[in-house]
Amino acid sequence: MTASGKLPRGRHGIPRELVVRSQRERLLAAMIETAAAKGYEETSVADVLEAAGVGRETFYELFEDKQDCFLAAHRILFDDFFDGVSAVYEQPGPWAQRVGNAMAELLDRLASDPDSTKVLLIEIGKAGPASRELFASTFTRVAALLNDGRGESPSAEALPNVANIAGGAVFARIYEEVLLGRAAELPRHCAEFTYEILVPFLGEEEARKEESRLSAG
Amino acid sequence: MNKNVLDQNMPTVATLFKRQRILDAIAVSCAEKTYASTTISDIVSRAGISRATFYKHFPNKRSCFDAAVEGFVAELRAVGRAAHSDAADNPENVRRAIAAALALMTAAPDYTRLVVIEAIAVDPSLIDRFRTLLIAALRGAGDGADGALPNKAATRTAYGQAQVLVANQILVGRGDELQELLPDIVYIALFPFTGPEEALKQAQLAR
Repeated sequence: MTASGKLPRGRHGIPRELVVRSQRERLLAAMIETAAAKGYEETSVADVLEAAGVGRETFYELFEDKQDCFLAAHRILFDDFFDGVSAVYEQPGPWAQRVGNAMAELLDRLASDPDSTKVLLIEIGKAGPASRELFASTFTRVAALLNDGRGESPSAEALPNVANIAGGAVFARIYEEVLLGRAAELPRHCAEFTYEILVPFLGEEEARKEESRLSAG
Repeated sequence: MNKNVLDQNMPTVATLFKRQRILDAIAVSCAEKTYASTTISDIVSRAGISRATFYKHFPNKRSCFDAAVEGFVAELRAVGRAAHSDAADNPENVRRAIAAALALMTAAPDYTRLVVIEAIAVDPSLIDRFRTLLIAALRGAGDGADGALPNKAATRTAYGQAQVLVANQILVGRGDELQELLPDIVYIALFPFTGPEEALKQAQLAR
């Protein structure tokens, strides 16, 4: 690739399939960058083409329209965050500690990539009706992960949606911090957010234990 | 009294109906295609009014949206207050207020989407305003629970949390079963005032 990120013009030995794939990836990356900088509504396909160094025809071969490209970018971002965080969460150990460690991973990831974080949480809300469905399916995946904690939860029977309560609390907190432009400081809240997840499952005492462990660490 | 003075200063019934029709129209349209994609044309054709009539009531789309949202938040507060009974204790009254609010939201799905889903995308500062209003309505919920003062940050979280739960319930297609959320929202609303154990107990009573 050249310094501008464009593929060399003319005859190059790269198979078409790979060129297309890399063009797709460049478009997705450009979409994330542009939507984070200008906001989804202000972003035009032309902006994305310019940032990606890809032609309009290629864009419309790969995506239906701006929203289609944005949703594809969001899906990749979410999967990447989700896989990274759930890999930490799946490490063996007491459930409360797994939650604490996964929370640390999540907040570090969000803090270290502000563009992606803004697209993941804020800009998605502006991307039309399809984005609403996407919210529900992603929230359901997060809640399903947390349901691992039901086994040791004395309150799970009284609160069938305990995972939604826990996930909803932290989603609301993270959303607000990101909205206020404080994504970089999210890791400071690790102990407190972990408590928010644990308390509906385990009650005050157990939730405070893990909170203290994280605060001390 | 001069009849003309009355005519000029008092909104007529027909005018009020038109205003309500405009609000209903923006709610339906936003629920269907989001606020961003809703145009003034969508609103006027749905309301069956002229563009000129729209502009007599509202200077622009945003002010119409704000009026629809604020009207519904006021209704939510009103049904919550109306559900209050002097004979009941505070947690019982919180349960009653939440049940009444969920019933109203079930009956008005388009307005509910406006408040819990669209508003935050339109202008996040709106959420702060409703939160302040609705949290004020819960004040006193924890009286008698060791006189504990609610943690301000925790009440803020509670509002967002309830909003996420209602939004999710609607988006997974169970918007006509919002009453299912009653135990969850009772827990969420009481937690900042009473702590988890009492909140859990009250959630059980709400089932």
